Amino acid sequence: MQKPFFWLAALLLAAPAALAQTAPLPPRPTRSAANASVTVSGYLKDAATGEALIGATVFVKTLGLGATANEYGFYSLSLPRGTYTFTFSYVGFAAHEETLALDGSRTLAVRLQAQGVQTDEVIVTGRAPDQNVRSTETGVARLDSRTIKLVPALLGEADVVRAIQLLPGVSTVGEGATGFNVRGGGIDQNLILLDEAPVYNSSHLFGLFSVFNPDAVKDVKLVKGGIPAAYGGRLSSLLDIRMKDGNSQRLGLTGGIGLISSRLAVEAPIVKDKGSFIVAARRSYADVFLKLIPAQKDNQAYFYDLSLKANYTLGERDRVYVSGYFGRDVFKFGKLFQNNWGNATGTVRWNHVFGPRLFLNATALASQYDYSLGVPEGSQGFEWNSNIRDYSLKGDFEYFRTPQSTLHFGGSATYYTFQPGHVKPTEATSIFRELRLQQQRGTELAAYLDEERSFGPGLAVQYGLRVSMFDNRSTGTFYDYAGERGRQLTPVGAATFAGGEPVASYANLEPRLSARYALTENSSLKASYNRMVQNLHLISNTTAATPLDVWLPSTRNIKPERADQISLGYFRNLKNNAYETSVEVFGKRLSNQIDYINGANTLLNQNLEADLLYGQVRAYGVEVYAKKNADRVTGWLSYTLSRSERRIDGLNNNAWYANKYDKTHYLSAVGIYNHSARLTFSATFNYSTGVSTTVPDARFVYQGLVVPNVTGDVRNNYRVPAYHRLDLAATLKNKPREGRRWDGSWTFSIYNVYARRNAYSLFFRQNADAPAQTEAVRLSIFGTLLPSATYNFSF
Amino acid sequence: MNRITTAVLLLLATGGLSSCLDVVQLDLPQGQPLLVVEGQITDQPTPPIVLLSSTQAYFDGATPPPVRGATLTLRDELGGTDALRETAPGRYVGSGALRGRIGGHYTLTVVADGQTYRAETDLRRTPPIDSLQVKLKTGDPVFDDGYYVFYNGPEPAGVGDYYRFKVFKNGALLNQPEDLIVRSDELVDGRYIGDVELNNKPFVRGDQLRVELNSIPADYFYFLNEVTTQINNQGLFATSPANVRTNVKNVAGAAGKAAVGYFAGFTVRADSVVIR
Repeated sequence: MQKPFFWLAALLLAAPAALAQTAPLPPRPTRSAANASVTVSGYLKDAATGEALIGATVFVKTLGLGATANEYGFYSLSLPRGTYTFTFSYVGFAAHEETLALDGSRTLAVRLQAQGVQTDEVIVTGRAPDQNVRSTETGVARLDSRTIKLVPALLGEADVVRAIQLLPGVSTVGEGATGFNVRGGGIDQNLILLDEAPVYNSSHLFGLFSVFNPDAVKDVKLVKGGIPAAYGGRLSSLLDIRMKDGNSQRLGLTGGIGLISSRLAVEAPIVKDKGSFIVAARRSYADVFLKLIPAQKDNQAYFYDLSLKANYTLGERDRVYVSGYFGRDVFKFGKLFQNNWGNATGTVRWNHVFGPRLFLNATALASQYDYSLGVPEGSQGFEWNSNIRDYSLKGDFEYFRTPQSTLHFGGSATYYTFQPGHVKPTEATSIFRELRLQQQRGTELAAYLDEERSFGPGLAVQYGLRVSMFDNRSTGTFYDYAGERGRQLTPVGAATFAGGEPVASYANLEPRLSARYALTENSSLKASYNRMVQNLHLISNTTAATPLDVWLPSTRNIKPERADQISLGYFRNLKNNAYETSVEVFGKRLSNQIDYINGANTLLNQNLEADLLYGQVRAYGVEVYAKKNADRVTGWLSYTLSRSERRIDGLNNNAWYANKYDKTHYLSAVGIYNHSARLTFSATFNYSTGVSTTVPDARFVYQGLVVPNVTGDVRNNYRVPAYHRLDLAATLKNKPREGRRWDGSWTFSIYNVYARRNAYSLFFRQNADAPAQTEAVRLSIFGTLLPSATYNFSF
Repeated sequence: MNRITTAVLLLLATGGLSSCLDVVQLDLPQGQPLLVVEGQITDQPTPPIVLLSSTQAYFDGATPPPVRGATLTLRDELGGTDALRETAPGRYVGSGALRGRIGGHYTLTVVADGQTYRAETDLRRTPPIDSLQVKLKTGDPVFDDGYYVFYNGPEPAGVGDYYRFKVFKNGALLNQPEDLIVRSDELVDGRYIGDVELNNKPFVRGDQLRVELNSIPADYFYFLNEVTTQINNQGLFATSPANVRTNVKNVAGAAGKAAVGYFAGFTVRADSVVIR
């Protein structure tokens, strides 16, 4: 334990030291100017709404220097004294030029005007037009809410997670399955942050829709590789979702009425230009129709979510943001059964500008996922609860040292609690007794330091180190497990912990590196390496994760999951950034991956660890991406060729086999055609190799029941048929009229246009009428085409 | 309880949408035939019975080929022993020299096709059935109108009891995959088990029902539970298909041929009711 503490301390000490070393006094001569330097800093915003423009850029052409606005719209650019023309730009917005004579540091807030209606609908994923080529980021994809809303949506519900699945390297185990898989990783290996709070279950309705209300989402960024040191805790990706700040200029209303749900968002200034808020709500209303059927009147089935955010500027240097999310899925079958689940998150942030070059974001956050199910009353009455909670404090500094160097450093402390399951009777006469699984607690401390540095116009690197320390601080009796791997183990070596010594303690160093080398103005080569560590594990043994799956911390037996990933990419833009193209290859290895013995019981199992197995995952692949940004037809094409396999000690005779979500080929094509200012058409096409599954090669009859068997107990020896699907949509806006603020539009969409019965899974059963006969059955989640109409409005 | 949950989740996830099921033709590989053991020893006067057959190709709906001419020996922990005699092809029956006894531990040895297998099981304590109750349901939002049978009985204190419920309608065991019901006492230990519904589909007037309660060993519970999972393994939340466990072990270990199935000891308590 000595060493990691040393590293943590060293990191924390190194940051201020780095600051001291590079403090602007005394001015040192640099190559570009003898008497550096003054700093221009400030916030970049949307003129119409006051929303911060994340990733907008400022550029001084004559010096070839630039800076990018951070997640809060703050930028800082240091340069020699003199007179310069600054160009501020953001895709979809008119560039703004400002000429300043600088004889000292100053702040400059800039508001950019969105371009006309037509370009408003242009797909925007890069911030600066050539961001993809110039940045050091690899494996990064961005979507904004406009894109998400224009892509044809299942049942008209614009969806963040479904849109992400159209990007290279992102797939799913099946349509309608919870979550997503990035570069061959599991669904629990994505760090999904909503305004910096982790979201533990991203799905409504078992996975059909994601929990994020598109009206409240400003920006979505997915990082598949080269993840910066500021982020940790999951192996495979970072999905960073930023909520809208709310319109600081005037009252705004947006909403929609759809087949599944309706949405309404209200945003308004608190004090004009100083603060604003947004409240966005969404609710499905299938249950409203249920209630019309007399026999169903006691039944409920709906989901809702509420997103809230407010921000306030306390002065030039200080801003606070408060955001919250609360979502829930509710099912109730009269007195027979009830089940509900959901996420709740809350974030309070304080931005402080220490000076023109040092920016702090301090965050306090809490997040929870919980579910409840049971029989509400009577002799069979019980209530079963489970939850995971975390409370976290973070400080993230950004130090804009020189135009060539930006330092990021900070730390976080998180406290977790886990209640894997607690059953209690609802009344004294219930047949059930109370059962409480071992509660667990954990703390995680992390610190990081990284530098973004450019060496001339060609080479830029971002390198950093993260130290993370996880302690399982549960109290109670814990066991080791002995026995043959692959069979249920026996608990041995009981050890009792009263709260002093941690049950288990793990420290890890996580180096991160990404580099870009510009070959020409329009093309670059990039490379990255990252090590990621994960101390939270989703225990799920079903094809698609269920809302009842439980998160557990690292324990004596469950070791921290670790991933090493390298990726290489070639990025090239054509025709003045009208086309973006890239080819990336990646390879990664994951260790301490969790799996389950045959017949494992993952729910309410007091001896769960007796059913767990551990092993490795390896994944590699090529991702090809081409995107067209300009003109009437926009869209992208993404193709992934990859392999994701696992080798588990105790399964499949310890040999490698394909992961259940492995897809060799995965193609998506998205096209958007702006026919006129009022009418837009869009289409998506998906093709993928079928997922892998296990099929029996024999059967035996036991007491009249036909039981499948596979010789040698091999896993995933078969592929379900290939998947493909075409979706179409058209969006028609109402006629613009002078002086009318109401904007309305209709979106018509058809999901699965040629009504293909895509196989979600294959399963095997006895024929109900002739029990001796067995048959294979294909399950299609959507057996037909699904048309929908949605009316969206904004005011 | 997990089963109810799964069933409801399944219903919600797939029933509400336009999901669909199609029987499809698949070309499956065929594994080599393995010995199948289906054996039981109970606390009833009937002698132990073991059926031996062979695995088949998955889509082969023919009667499983019996395994004939095997040598079966049964022993208990007190040194009692019995040789099972083949009374019909693949059907081996004890002489009556060894009967099941609560608390007894039994070892079956099977020599077939040059391989020797061994299976061990126990007979565990059992509670009695108190009563069966028939209730008429009408207008229920979930259940069809008709008669339903409910189980009432005590559950002995101390976790670690496992049960199987069998329902015989007019003398025939209800034996569709969804009819296999096994339960653990983990959540109901020591409580009085009342009002436990035994059928999903309604009975009609005149039906004669016999309900059997089997107290089963833990490992057999896991076996049956795994069978339930595998033969009802469908829907959005299906588990990864996997072989069910067996207590029939080749004495040669991994070097010998594997076997499937189970030799189980269990008690039998029964009660009957006629719906009027």
